[in-house]
Amino acid sequence: MTTTIQISKLSKSYKKQQVLTELDWSIKQGDVIGLLGKNGAGKSTLINAILNINPADSGSVSLLGEDNKVLTSATKARIGYVPQQNDEITWLTVKELIQFKKQFYAHWNDSKVAELISRWEIDTNKKMSELSVGQGQRVLIILALAHEPDLMIFDEPAAALDPAGRRDFLKEIVNLAADENKTIIFSTHITTDLERVANKVAILHQGKICHFDDLDNVKENVVKVSVISDQPNKITIPYAINTFQDNHQVNGVVTQVDLQWKKELESQGHQVDITPMSLEDIFLELTA
Amino acid sequence: MIQFNIEASSGIPIYKQIFEQVERMIANGYLVEGTLLPSVRQVANNIDVNPMTISKAYGLLEERGYLTRLRGKGMMVAHQSEEKSKKEKMMILDKMIAELVSDAVQMGINKQELLTLIADKAEQLNLPDKINSQG
Repeated sequence: MTTTIQISKLSKSYKKQQVLTELDWSIKQGDVIGLLGKNGAGKSTLINAILNINPADSGSVSLLGEDNKVLTSATKARIGYVPQQNDEITWLTVKELIQFKKQFYAHWNDSKVAELISRWEIDTNKKMSELSVGQGQRVLIILALAHEPDLMIFDEPAAALDPAGRRDFLKEIVNLAADENKTIIFSTHITTDLERVANKVAILHQGKICHFDDLDNVKENVVKVSVISDQPNKITIPYAINTFQDNHQVNGVVTQVDLQWKKELESQGHQVDITPMSLEDIFLELTA
Repeated sequence: MIQFNIEASSGIPIYKQIFEQVERMIANGYLVEGTLLPSVRQVANNIDVNPMTISKAYGLLEERGYLTRLRGKGMMVAHQSEEKSKKEKMMILDKMIAELVSDAVQMGINKQELLTLIADKAEQLNLPDKINSQG
């Protein structure tokens, strides 16, 4: 599969605050990625650096095979982006804004725009400044989807939407994901947003992508292991990122289960239990 | 259309939940040989899940012999041999019993108490001692 985004040694700091630290990340075509990070982890900084909206201090980013600092307009037209905050021209009506934006693209799906406008009940005669935050966000999403880009990047897209709007937006991503050539990245700090739609999850922590894997693998590998034993202090759980003990039990969260070890302990008469964890718990453990 | 009951926030991957639900529906006879399953797209849209997840579940079900791929038509429930389905049923029960026993341990129930409970329940539901095999 082709690589859609290749990032190497990306660094960025604000004044003395280092946000991205020699971050490496490679994204393949067809990936639907949930980018998780705590508030302030630098998700927006990373997205802005990828798109060269707010350039990195050092490192390189290749987008659809081109250096992100010198993108051709043909490549730019293959990218869709929804910022966290509405920075579109606010004094235009929705209708005018759509007409204005349309001029920049060779390809524009009018019926898709019309369908989303009616589904999301947007009054196109209203000025952007008159829309609620949620409605404004929906317009931005429509604008990002209208030219049917190959790469879509959403920065906290669901943040301003109500539960029904979130669900509907996620449904739209599901539809896009059905086309396996599209690459989608959306940042969020809400794990439930990505559990249904993402096939991969990336965790941004301390300036780096500390974990990037198939969502299914993450759920299957990062689990809680408990061992019941008379001598708990003699037990060391392999691949554990943290362990705690009480009376006759050792518990640990592991990044992978060592089946050989499990078998061995069981043959010695210990009871080894494995419990799956929700993505939210996994996220909290990995960024603790 | 068959309904899947997905818990997105559980620790169990969604493809696995779908796999297990189809597995159970076939084992308990709800899905019989020749039944066509809804398309990947239909299921994905119905439960708002990434289509790749559904493909993965269907692919695995095909690999394990539960489903057969019909060109241009989708997935159909495959013929299950008597011997194999008995084995599968035992495996499913084994998994459920493992959960039950683990819960019992957590509650501090001992083996005898648990076995008595199961025997009583079997009695109540008129579970026969032996089923005459019909194969």
